[in-house]
Amino acid sequence: MSHRGRCKFSIYDHYLNIMEQTNQASQYARSLIEASLDPLITISTEGKITDMNLATVHITGKTREALIGTDFFDYFTEPEKAREVYQEVFSKGFVADYPLTITDHKLTDVLFNGSVYKDSHGKVMGAVVVARDITEQRRFETELIEAKVLAEMAACLAEDAKNKAEAATLIAEDAVKSKQQFLSNMSHEIRTPMNAIIGFTKVMLKTDLSAKQKEYLTAIKMSGDALIVLINDILDLAKVDAGKMTFEQTRFKMAQSIAAMLHLFEAKIQEKNLKLVKEYDGNIPEVLVGDPVRLHQIIMNLVSNAVKFTAKGCITVSVRLLREDDASATIEFAVADTGIGIKTSKMEKIFENFQQASSATARLFGGTGLGLAIAKKLVEQQGGSIWVKSEVDEGSVFSFVLTFQKTADKSTLESIFTKQDTEALSIKVLVVEDMALNQLLMKTLLDDFGFERDIADNGRIAVEKLQLNSYDIILMDLHMPEMNGFEATEYIRNQLHSKIPIIALTADVTTVDLEKCRAVGMNDYIAKPVDERLLYSKIVGLVKKPQPIVAETTNEPEPTHKLRYTDLEYLIQRTKNNPGLIMEMITAYLEQTPPLINAMKQSAHAKDWDSLYATVHKMIPSFSIMGISNDFESMAKKVQEYARSQQQADSILEMVMQLENVCVAACQELEEEFNRIKNIQA
Amino acid sequence: MNADAKVKLFLVDDDAVFLKLLAIEFLQHADFDVETYPTGELCIEHLSSSPDVIILDYHLDGIVSHAINGIETLDKIKAYNPDIPVIMLSSQDKIEVAVNCMHHRAFDYVVKSETAFVRLQKTITTIFRYKKMEKELSWYMERM
Repeated sequence: MSHRGRCKFSIYDHYLNIMEQTNQASQYARSLIEASLDPLITISTEGKITDMNLATVHITGKTREALIGTDFFDYFTEPEKAREVYQEVFSKGFVADYPLTITDHKLTDVLFNGSVYKDSHGKVMGAVVVARDITEQRRFETELIEAKVLAEMAACLAEDAKNKAEAATLIAEDAVKSKQQFLSNMSHEIRTPMNAIIGFTKVMLKTDLSAKQKEYLTAIKMSGDALIVLINDILDLAKVDAGKMTFEQTRFKMAQSIAAMLHLFEAKIQEKNLKLVKEYDGNIPEVLVGDPVRLHQIIMNLVSNAVKFTAKGCITVSVRLLREDDASATIEFAVADTGIGIKTSKMEKIFENFQQASSATARLFGGTGLGLAIAKKLVEQQGGSIWVKSEVDEGSVFSFVLTFQKTADKSTLESIFTKQDTEALSIKVLVVEDMALNQLLMKTLLDDFGFERDIADNGRIAVEKLQLNSYDIILMDLHMPEMNGFEATEYIRNQLHSKIPIIALTADVTTVDLEKCRAVGMNDYIAKPVDERLLYSKIVGLVKKPQPIVAETTNEPEPTHKLRYTDLEYLIQRTKNNPGLIMEMITAYLEQTPPLINAMKQSAHAKDWDSLYATVHKMIPSFSIMGISNDFESMAKKVQEYARSQQQADSILEMVMQLENVCVAACQELEEEFNRIKNIQA
Repeated sequence: MNADAKVKLFLVDDDAVFLKLLAIEFLQHADFDVETYPTGELCIEHLSSSPDVIILDYHLDGIVSHAINGIETLDKIKAYNPDIPVIMLSSQDKIEVAVNCMHHRAFDYVVKSETAFVRLQKTITTIFRYKKMEKELSWYMERM
């Protein structure tokens, strides 16, 4: 019984249970549908809306009641297309990703997916369609496309910019090249005529001139020199900028070197009524290794600036030893003035190219504004530093520090600059030069040195002459027609196998040319305008080099090595090498000269010009007899001339002093010579 | 003039070195009887020893301020005996000096230089050729 009753109960329960479960499932499904963010719509086979979820209500902005029973396709911007969706769903049973736009307040883009639903008999009752809001997707897509377009545009722009930059670089490189070429050309074009101007002015200064003429010629020469300095400045700057500046490492005497350079400013400083104070640290090693020419250039730039900007007061050049160790010495150089000073705001700028403290500076004081820029670069390239301290209207102090190597070898190159026994040297020079003016100038210079010389118009003629005659040295111009200097040198070295010293003469002193000179086998070069002392020392240096110096070790060490003022060659010739007569001659000289020296000194100091004239006049013939250099004879003649015109008292005294030194030295030498002959006789 | 006798030469110059050199050269190159004097005064004092040729410096009053100069010496020599040929020497190569010497009846004018000796030698040779010609001329004149 219990079993039956239980059974009956159980079926009902089961039914209730199923009903409950169905109800639950339906509610569950409903809540899922309502929770969907995508609008869900059921439509009848006629296209009327039968049901929808909350999302649909939100997106259409209408109530459920208003929506039910209305036409599905009324809610889209393109009803025809919407009708197609509905038709497609019912014909195919489903629709996938069909794009439409809902006519809501913001026209939402959607994608439709849908499928039909059937009753238990398989009869189509309607369709469920899901619209997915793709606004965000669209937005991303649009943004993505926009971003892509932008990126592409940016890439184009970048490419453009790159091309432009490359073109600009090419142009800039070209510009630098043509700037250097231009500078090089200009330097050549300017130097060539300057060479003739300065050279002939120098030659003319040596001839008999009236005091006025001398004054004018000196002015020409000074202007020429100034112009050359300017050209060199510009060239130097170009070289430093291109990183092509080279520094020599030669031994030099710091104290003498600086004193000699400051000497150049004395006239100018006196002229402006300024005082030049030199402070030289005695602890600085006597001989140092470095580039004296560049050092000069730096100090000269600073001192000439100081002179330029100082109206009264003094200019102090001080050289101080900062540190010293076994190998090197670090030296501080300072140039202080009591001039106009520099504003703090301008201090950084003054070291830049073409910068002056104010644009008015150029008008007032002149100059190119290159000096400090060059000085700075020269210092920095040698590993030093330069700086300025200044107070407006008080003055400025420019200081720089450089380190020099020390050396144990005390001999310096300077000794070469002093002329040696010209008489003893019979040097045959071949000058290869195409320009008539320069030929004439070289002729004049070499004649002055007392060298034999031959001229060839170009390299080919030079090579022909070399095969016929013998020469001691060749001076070779670089740019010539037919065969230029490089070709000629190559031919001489490689075809003629000659080791004859060759000095290049060039107005174009760019580094390119100099490297080429060495490459083809030239021994040295000289920049035009030719400095005659340099030419002389280079010729003598190169011609003498190959000869072994035996005398130094065998004979008594000193007298042969020392620079001699006298030369008995002439006397030996005249007396047919009769020792007795030579001794008589020397005695005569030794008796006569000392009183003459005294008389000369006294009359010069007493400004007794007539007496000075007469005394020097009497000294002159003995110069050539005792083989004293022509230079001193000309100097004596100059003293005479000045004494007569009673001008340039200062330089007279200087020359008188030099003549005195020469004569005293000559007397000593002759006395030694006399004793030597006497000993041989005995 | 005795043909066998040496030619007597007076060298007058206050530049001892040049004077010495000149003397040495004359003694070496030819058979001369050379007498040297540093001043014009001494030269004039010795004119009595009858020199054949006198070589005289133009600039004699250089150092000793009261010394007589070359031209004055030349005048005195000519006053003593106008037939003594005098060759003037000077370190200056100046036309005025040369002309001045000629006006004062110098035989020639030679610039002190390396070639001075050769020039002097030539001049002396010329002097003797003239002298000989003069002598021959006077000899012929006498016979006419």
